[in-house]
Amino acid sequence: MDLAIRTFVVFWFLLLLMRITGRRELSSLEPFDLILLIVLGDAVQQGLTQDDYSVTGALIVVIVFGVMQVAVSYLNFRFPRLRPALEGYPIVLIEDGNLIQRNLKRERLTPEDLAKEARGQKIESLNEVKWAVLETSGSISFIPKSDS
Amino acid sequence: MAEPPIGIDLARDRDLRGRKYHAWIRRGLMTLIAVIPVLALFNAFGQHPHTAKASSSAATLSVYAPTRLRGGLLWEGRIHITAHRDIKKAILVLGTGWAEGMSMNTIEPSPVGQASDNGKLEFTLGHIQRNKSFILFMQFQVNPTNVGSRPRTTVLYDGNTKLASINQTVTIFP
Repeated sequence: MDLAIRTFVVFWFLLLLMRITGRRELSSLEPFDLILLIVLGDAVQQGLTQDDYSVTGALIVVIVFGVMQVAVSYLNFRFPRLRPALEGYPIVLIEDGNLIQRNLKRERLTPEDLAKEARGQKIESLNEVKWAVLETSGSISFIPKSDS
Repeated sequence: MAEPPIGIDLARDRDLRGRKYHAWIRRGLMTLIAVIPVLALFNAFGQHPHTAKASSSAATLSVYAPTRLRGGLLWEGRIHITAHRDIKKAILVLGTGWAEGMSMNTIEPSPVGQASDNGKLEFTLGHIQRNKSFILFMQFQVNPTNVGSRPRTTVLYDGNTKLASINQTVTIFP
């Protein structure tokens, strides 16, 4: 029973942490981020199952995580008012080649970060970008100008 | 002005209309979360031990143990008795808070006798000479399901005579 409660609490805490950490931190997986992710998983596991090595225990944890994930997804779909809290909204970073500094600052992004992402999508210059949007997943979508 | 991409609401996603305060909520929550490890540094969630003492003309009883613990922790309770006079038959009575939901790994030195005193643990330690000390080391592990607060009493007797007692509350965090 307490296993399910622990999983429930950890799920909501992780969701909260992921939401407030900022989406860019989540989508970029540099080598150090990867190590942190593994360490985070290990730290969470210790608190969840502790000395329970049973298959039953593992099933309970996995099922609660699965159900909670579906529940959050349903809440997000069913109640649009919860969307800003659960998923957030995209943010426009470039409009017609112009950086929107206020939005970049809000997401702790530099023009260099944007240029790096743009290069990854085979865009030579930010001037060629009609729209750049930071998606809720943390990825950046670039829409090039039609003449470029 | 260029037509925005599908699903993009310029007022909401570019001008952040109605979203400006979201960043402050995020920062506020981050600050709140950051407070947790700071509280932990100040022993809010255990397991730093501290000493509780009780004295009488016959003996000084002190308990060195954490009062805040977390599930799964290994910890030590050290009970120190200093006799100010000869204690013929020292008996230590530990309340159920010491043992409830704990794995007792070891008690050193082993008491001369062990019994139940109305549900409490009764350890007979034997004779303690005047101006001598008796230190009882107990090693525990908190069972993960053992969450909450409960009283933890430690009472020292000489036979049937109560010499000193310490009342504590132990809190176990999940």
